Amino acid sequence: MIFDYFSLAFKSLTGRSVRTWLTMIGIFIGITAVVSLISLGSGLQDSINAEFESMGKNRIMITPGGGQFGPQGGEMSIGKMTEQDLNVVRKTKGVDVATGYISKSSKVKFKDELKFLDVWGFATDSESTEVVDRSGFLELEKGRQLKQGDRFKAIVGDSIAYDSFDKELRIGDTIDVEGQGFKIIGIQKPSTMTDSSIRIPLEVAREIYDSPEEISGIFVLTSEGEEPAMVADRLKRGLRRFRNLDEGEEDFSVSTAEQTIAQLNTILSLVTIFLSGIAAISLVVGGIGIMNTMYTTVLERTREIGIMKAIGATNRNILFLFLIESGILGLAGGIVGIMLGFGISKIGEFIAIQMGAAFFRSSFSVFLIVGSLVFSFVIGMVSGALPARQAALLQPVEAFRGK
Amino acid sequence: MIQDYALFAVKSFKARKLRTFLTMLGIFVGIAAVVSLVSLGQGLENAITEQFESLGTNKLMITAKGGFYGMGSSASLDKDDLKLIQNARGIRNAGGFVSKVGSVELGNERKYTWLSGMPQDESKKVISDISSFKVESGRDLKNSDKFKAVIGSYLAKGEVFDKKVRIGDKIVIEGRKFEVIGILAPIGNPQDDSQIIIPLDTAVELFGGEETYAAIMADVIDGQNPSAVAESLTRTLRRHRGLKEGEEDFSIQTFEEMLESFSSILLIVQGVLIGIAAISLVVGGIGIMNTMYTSVFQRTNEIGIMKAIGARNSDILKIFLIESGFLGIVGGAVGILIGFTIGKTIEFSAAQAGLEIFKASFPWYLIVGSLLFSFVVGCAAGGFPAIQASRLKPVDALRYE
Repeated sequence: MIFDYFSLAFKSLTGRSVRTWLTMIGIFIGITAVVSLISLGSGLQDSINAEFESMGKNRIMITPGGGQFGPQGGEMSIGKMTEQDLNVVRKTKGVDVATGYISKSSKVKFKDELKFLDVWGFATDSESTEVVDRSGFLELEKGRQLKQGDRFKAIVGDSIAYDSFDKELRIGDTIDVEGQGFKIIGIQKPSTMTDSSIRIPLEVAREIYDSPEEISGIFVLTSEGEEPAMVADRLKRGLRRFRNLDEGEEDFSVSTAEQTIAQLNTILSLVTIFLSGIAAISLVVGGIGIMNTMYTTVLERTREIGIMKAIGATNRNILFLFLIESGILGLAGGIVGIMLGFGISKIGEFIAIQMGAAFFRSSFSVFLIVGSLVFSFVIGMVSGALPARQAALLQPVEAFRGK
Repeated sequence: MIQDYALFAVKSFKARKLRTFLTMLGIFVGIAAVVSLVSLGQGLENAITEQFESLGTNKLMITAKGGFYGMGSSASLDKDDLKLIQNARGIRNAGGFVSKVGSVELGNERKYTWLSGMPQDESKKVISDISSFKVESGRDLKNSDKFKAVIGSYLAKGEVFDKKVRIGDKIVIEGRKFEVIGILAPIGNPQDDSQIIIPLDTAVELFGGEETYAAIMADVIDGQNPSAVAESLTRTLRRHRGLKEGEEDFSIQTFEEMLESFSSILLIVQGVLIGIAAISLVVGGIGIMNTMYTSVFQRTNEIGIMKAIGARNSDILKIFLIESGFLGIVGGAVGILIGFTIGKTIEFSAAQAGLEIFKASFPWYLIVGSLLFSFVVGCAAGGFPAIQASRLKPVDALRYE
């Protein structure tokens, strides 16, 4: 029975091929746009999540500034953090290891080329090197990490080594930071967070920047089995007490890895939804096209409907016939649209990789593909609903009489 | 003659109201999307341009390089640099200000907000010109003031603290007591409207004692070319700081340059959004094509009769082209109306959210352009069907059932 509906619908569609084609083109343009935008957006999200995931979730960052002023909060804020805050953090229950760092955008020179780059001073005591080893995003591609006793040695991020200067940096090269030569002893593995930074020993950084006490941020790894969110709460309470502040009046912010990922995901989802939403307008227009085509079809086939009814077709039969016809229009448009969308986002992925975002993969979940198919079928059916109803309610006599 | 064509088109629409309406619906959804996005983007650009232009284009902004506009950079600009700039060729006057986020207490409540230290000597005007600060009630800071503060309108409206801050109130900024002596007129965005302005010297003291400026603003003497002055100033500052060419640790931007960099970012964002929205116009155009093909099929007999009584190919072509162009332009007109409404609604919600400087913009070329574009989409979409209609043989057309 259902098979009959489909074969009838199919015959009717192939009978008017220009109109069928044009109607489907309307749908597949829309589906193509939506599918490629979603696959690029969720691909970006997946790639970033995967990277964060690989670092583990036991990380907490503490920075000065109330947090509501964005990433530069620390630099803009009068309230600073010092080594004493680090001591409070280290004594907090649930904190396994913690280290403080200072970061400044600094003059860096290599072979007469001057750039302003982020330079981080990282401590080299045993607890701090443990943080570096276990952080997951400060791993080295070659060379060695900074160790106790190192002075004018530096580790450079992947993009600093290969992109920042005309000439690539190599281990053993000397770069000039704020007028002071540093020997490169390590190059980091690619990692979105620290690709464009240079790491030097904290004590040396303190001398260069003339900043004996202040720290730009504290990096914490929580103990095994502790819930990072709980530790973050404890840290907030402890620092509040130490800095003598009431609840809600913090001049510092404590964020767990999970919070950071969640924030990033929210922003990415919003952008994806917004863009897909605008693209989906074209799907509405395509749906209107289906409706239009179906009305025309019903009009042209009035006589046929009359005959079918006269030989015993019920209203429901006619309704289904037309609904399935419009559903197929949508579905076929959807299938072509998904294929085109797949092509476009693969091209997008290729361009992104060429431009240096090596970690980026577009994503085609089963959910996206099945969802788009179902969605395009539903759009077809919904658009065909009114015309189909009109057809179903035709009186056989009227249907014959009408030309 | 053209009237006849138009009349013909209207009659044909009347006969097929539903189809005509649905076809136009497709176009006006698309046009509405494009028009509202363009008007919002254009409005945003206007708001930015206006802010810049109200400051005058003869201004220079000097900041330390690196970091975010010099914030967090190892390089800094101090009193010496300011003096040098004030005395440089082509510069009428220059002033530096400091700006940080700090704690402010009113009663038992503590909040964090922007604190700006503004100079109160003769360089004050340069800064106040640029920051478009106007004291609405109370009085402005003057040279002898130390622990006095002028507050943004949000503080006075009670949007920062639970209580409204009034003139004469005492507030505690970073642990020091200040008297509120003036309230600024609303500037139009929440961040500027919740700031607190205090005298520069006092601010320097509060921020840790070092007089390093967030930025130095300079007025170029009338008639001098700002970019030429910027260039010579770059040389002077470089020499003063003992740096080689290409190794500057500061940057000098003319307002024109800043405006350009903003505009180009905005243009890209707008381009992407409009491009995506325009997809729906293509789909709408396909809808017109579809309708026109159907229309040609259904009127084959009619075409045959017209040809038999002497209509030429070009007449038939025009009839159908005008019909489809008409579909496009009417869809476009309604679309512009809807787009206008959407733009205004968003403008209204932006104003509710505190962004009063934002106005959706509907320049004449947007309206004329959209009408023209929708007409062209209609004609282009109707092109193939119209050609098909015009080439029908009268005999075949009459025989067609």
